[in-house]
Amino acid sequence: MSSLQAFFHTDWQAMTRADVTGLIMAVVLTLLMVALYIWVFKPSNRDNFEQYRDFVNEDEKREVDHGQTK
Amino acid sequence: MDARVSGQPNYNMAIVKSFALCAVVYLIVGALVGDIIAWQLSFPSLNLNEYLSFGRLRPLHTNAVIFAFGGCTLMATSFYVVQRTCAVPLWSNNLAWFTFWGWNLIIVAAVISFPLGWTQGKEYAELEWPIDIAIAIVWLSYMFNFIMTIANRKTSHIYVANWFFLGMMIMITYLHVVNSLAIPVTLTKSYSIYSGVHDAMIQWWWGHNAVGFFLTAGFLGIMYYFIPKQADRPIFSYRLSVLHFWALMFGYVWLGAHHLQYTALPDWAGSLGAAVSIAMIIPSWGGAINGLMTLSGAWHKLRDDYVLRFLVVSLAFYAMSTFEGPVMSLKTVNALSHYTDWTIGHVHSGALGWVAMVSIGAIYHLLTRLWKTEIYSVTMVNTHFWIHTIGTVIYICAMWVSGIMQGLMWRATDDYGNLTYTFAETVVAMHPYYVLRSVGGLLVLLGAILMLYNVVMTIRGAGQQKAAVQPVKA
Repeated sequence: MSSLQAFFHTDWQAMTRADVTGLIMAVVLTLLMVALYIWVFKPSNRDNFEQYRDFVNEDEKREVDHGQTK
Repeated sequence: MDARVSGQPNYNMAIVKSFALCAVVYLIVGALVGDIIAWQLSFPSLNLNEYLSFGRLRPLHTNAVIFAFGGCTLMATSFYVVQRTCAVPLWSNNLAWFTFWGWNLIIVAAVISFPLGWTQGKEYAELEWPIDIAIAIVWLSYMFNFIMTIANRKTSHIYVANWFFLGMMIMITYLHVVNSLAIPVTLTKSYSIYSGVHDAMIQWWWGHNAVGFFLTAGFLGIMYYFIPKQADRPIFSYRLSVLHFWALMFGYVWLGAHHLQYTALPDWAGSLGAAVSIAMIIPSWGGAINGLMTLSGAWHKLRDDYVLRFLVVSLAFYAMSTFEGPVMSLKTVNALSHYTDWTIGHVHSGALGWVAMVSIGAIYHLLTRLWKTEIYSVTMVNTHFWIHTIGTVIYICAMWVSGIMQGLMWRATDDYGNLTYTFAETVVAMHPYYVLRSVGGLLVLLGAILMLYNVVMTIRGAGQQKAAVQPVKA
């Protein structure tokens, strides 16, 4: 067995329920992260996101004065 | 609820003003106690009695800066941002005031209980069980009001800063509740329901996420509103901000295990914590670059915009500490750095450099707008900026040098395998750096006092202007 094989060797029989749960969570979250990167950087989604770039500087258009109090 | 007066949104800015003022005062309190304990480490005879000893004042310092100063800053800015970006007033003013008074009462309870030695002994979660319950109730009132304000919004889009604030609120709720589960024995004493390594893991799951969600996600909400607003520039990339948010939410919860390398915690858990820590460099630097590049084409504003200067330097410290942290989580580096003052240096580059500076910038931004006046003294703000920056650099450099020296001295062995230095010898070697750290902390404290004076004089000036205008109107 090469050192790489030894490094990645897993004793599946010895894994407890907690180990399996943790493994599933790690894999699911990794896939979600990959999906997130694809979703965000997909060229067709660009304008959909970037239309809000100047959102905070447009708030004067949404209301008039700054710092209204009762 | 009547949302408009004369056709304009009837925002509740009184609550924002109150939280912002409290934040300025608590910055002084936190820095003062921090500097006292720094001098106590330099000169142990300054531990005057049990009530004012290092062990009892240290949690008072951490709680004052994180939850009193940081908490009030977050509540001021989040209530401000959510109203302005949703174009509606807060859902409930009464609930907002309940949050304000409740949060301040909790801070008073901390000031009383820590010197008396009432503590659960869990870092950043030292407060005893009755106060923990109060924190949960007040925090939920804050979150519920925030969510309902968003639910009532008049804009179709929920701005990314609100996502960061909301993420912080949700995560802190369950982190606080789970970590604080305890069996009460008396009114002032309880024991954690966890034991052994489980207790350690739950504690650092909370401990690192107090940093990750309270001190990072919440303050990133501040960054994403106040930098584009102050610079009057659009955000460099909104896509990057969305990526930043979700990657932070997915990733940060896994990091706590890197605090427990070389302990009874299973090795794989520490490795997982380190691996995710390294992965977090990408979104963290993405966010820092996003903030800095927002100034693209407007860098000249740094010459005379005193608020922007605080905000931009805070991002430089954010980038630096979010690179340093993952490096320190690696087992080889951790073997040297853990339990040394390098960690203290790292924490303060984040706390003084990132959290404090972005907060101070946001509060100066709010000051002139909320009280509708010019700042009392721009020179004082500039002096504050330089005092704070120099103090922070002195502090963290002293701790980096002393921490690495400390680690090297602890592990040094002679040809026979005996330890080269005794523990007392390492303490003696660190004394000059402890004094240097205390001086750095003193500079930060002086800057905070200058800020309070400037804030008070600005508000007084605003009051006088108002009084002068009224007779003319009459």
